[in-house]
Amino acid sequence: MADTKKVKGLKKTMNEKIKSTKEILRERVSDRKTTPLYNPEALTDLKRESEDWMTNVVRETDRENWRKTPHTVLGSDTPRELLYTPLSNPDFDYQQDLGNSGQEPFTRGIHASMYRGREFTMRQLTGFGSPEETNERIKFMLGHGATGLNILFDLPTIQMYDSDDPFALGQVGMSGVCVDSVEDMARLFKDVPLDEVTISIVTHYPSNTAILFPMFLALAEERGIPWENLRGSVQNDITLEELIRSGAEYIPPKDCFRIQCDNIEFIRKNVPQWNFITINGYNLREFGTSAITEMAVAVSNGIEILDELVRRGHDVDTVADRLAFFWSAANDFFEEIARIRAIRRLWYKIMKYRFNAKNPRAMLMRCHVQTSGVCLIQEEPQNNIIRAAYHSLAAVLGGAQSLHVDSYDEAYSVPTEEAALLSLRTQQILQKETGVTDVVDPLGGSFYLEALTNEIENRILDEVDEIEGLGGYVRAIEGGEIYGKVASYFAEQQRLIENGEIALVGQNVYKSEVEGPPINVFRYPEGVEERQKARLQKLRLNRDNEKVSSALRALKDACLKGENILPYSVDCARVRCTEGELFKVFKDAFGLWKPPALF
Amino acid sequence: MTKKIKVLLTKLGLDVHNRGIITVAKVLSSAGMEVVYLGNALPEEIISVAIQEDVDVVGVSSLGGAHISLGTLVLKEAEEKGLKERMVFLMGGVFPPSDGERLREIGFDGVFLPGTRSDEIVSDIERLVG
Repeated sequence: MADTKKVKGLKKTMNEKIKSTKEILRERVSDRKTTPLYNPEALTDLKRESEDWMTNVVRETDRENWRKTPHTVLGSDTPRELLYTPLSNPDFDYQQDLGNSGQEPFTRGIHASMYRGREFTMRQLTGFGSPEETNERIKFMLGHGATGLNILFDLPTIQMYDSDDPFALGQVGMSGVCVDSVEDMARLFKDVPLDEVTISIVTHYPSNTAILFPMFLALAEERGIPWENLRGSVQNDITLEELIRSGAEYIPPKDCFRIQCDNIEFIRKNVPQWNFITINGYNLREFGTSAITEMAVAVSNGIEILDELVRRGHDVDTVADRLAFFWSAANDFFEEIARIRAIRRLWYKIMKYRFNAKNPRAMLMRCHVQTSGVCLIQEEPQNNIIRAAYHSLAAVLGGAQSLHVDSYDEAYSVPTEEAALLSLRTQQILQKETGVTDVVDPLGGSFYLEALTNEIENRILDEVDEIEGLGGYVRAIEGGEIYGKVASYFAEQQRLIENGEIALVGQNVYKSEVEGPPINVFRYPEGVEERQKARLQKLRLNRDNEKVSSALRALKDACLKGENILPYSVDCARVRCTEGELFKVFKDAFGLWKPPALF
Repeated sequence: MTKKIKVLLTKLGLDVHNRGIITVAKVLSSAGMEVVYLGNALPEEIISVAIQEDVDVVGVSSLGGAHISLGTLVLKEAEEKGLKERMVFLMGGVFPPSDGERLREIGFDGVFLPGTRSDEIVSDIERLVG
């Protein structure tokens, strides 16, 4: 009897067509009661007046080219009209489309008082050389008023090789700080109160999150700081590990996705104030994709993660309330502002209508924004200060929670101390001198911005729909479709820059005849690699190697059995396993995957 | 008919930034060259693949800061295998412009900084291969 029931239930599910996110939103959103703000009579009058104005006042050339497509670095090529009026958005419904700040649909901001209640966090990326050298820079930035930390690792650490691995040769301490074990983590955070500063640990990949964050947890434990008091974030994003990374060895996407979800599950339960994922649009965008695709990919990843966690038996209201996003801010000023507003509203709708969330905190799109590095150029580098200032202003007008401003010398190397300070000052000037943070969503209600926000929201949802049509996000990584889309976008951008359709001042327009003053370029400290290698040798001699092998064995078992691997990788960190040792366990357990061909 | 120019493209070491090299790969293949993309590799592997594929040009990309250290090793390995005379060695990526000089001293035949146009890369390769 019971069996028959089960079969019946199964049959029903199979016959029911699974609805796409777009279909669900279309149905449920159209059910809502609407109250358009504009009086129909006024709109009819305005329409007549505008037609008149169009024929008699507007120049013929502008009439013919009413819609113009701006070409910008990392832009979406969304056409713009010459003038926006209430007719651009005749059904505008204040409550349904915007609401007040801190109220559904959160278009205007996730907190009622926004920056008056909480200033945006000034979180500059820091990391180079040895842990001691980065520790010095951390103290320098905190001493100058930075309110959060953002730690970047070197290439071997990001790619999960020890500093003495042949693959690490010549790259230890380059473009980030090297960390091999919990002992380096201790050097990195020497004299930094782990429970007082919010710390973003930029573990890009799920795999290195599962290795490095446990080292941070073990360090907190050794200092007697309860995990519940730690605040900060990790990145933990499959997009970076499987789609846009260039590396020598990859584990398969489905295993990487599982580790991503293991990290979330473990951190949610054990480190309750920690943001367990920062769904990363930024690096995909910087790799070379449009304002729209950046967000569509991140949203698709978010949907797939929540589906998986629900499948594992979690309540969406408790897992989604710490989800965070990471966006880039590029050159098209109004598009950048509109995008952040659009994604806040879209994410709210997805949480409310697709996942049936009840907890308002689970519906919030909270985000960190970094100004675009790809938009910075080598010619006349001081111009980059101006570019980054506009990017920052857009991020703040869009309502970002925290900000990193790229330094003007990043088209050459890691920022010098002077350039890093200038980036921090860019943020402080915005916050303290310009008054832009006094009023919430100051551009809300602009005919132009609201029309653009609507259009961008629709375009993001269309691309989410495309990815769902391919069988979901992980499938679309495996199949190479997203990769192909990105590669053709950046080839086109290159073409537009070379033919001058995308203007770059100092590079393809207004080229300077005279050479500007030379800039100071950051030079990496020397001798880091040798010192780090010696340290590793000493570590391997002095630790309890029996404990190390049994911790690694237990981790491998958990990988194979499908248990959450984090409790085991925390054990590995405690007994001083090195990062490379844990990565080897992953490779042994999951095997290697070959990504789709590049071009 | 002249023989197609054959180019090996590679990312140096663990550098994760590959947008530039993929763009260059597309540019060179649409200019009629044969492109072999190796992905991330260390100097020794780069040189052994260059020999195996018998390429005319080895193009190395670096944005991670290892352009001098690993770049030197690439050229040292090439020298030892006697490739320096018969292959063209190029480096492109993000590094201080003054390092361009050092890379030439080390033995790179061409150095490309950000903002280099596609047609410049193509014509430089054609000229260098001769």
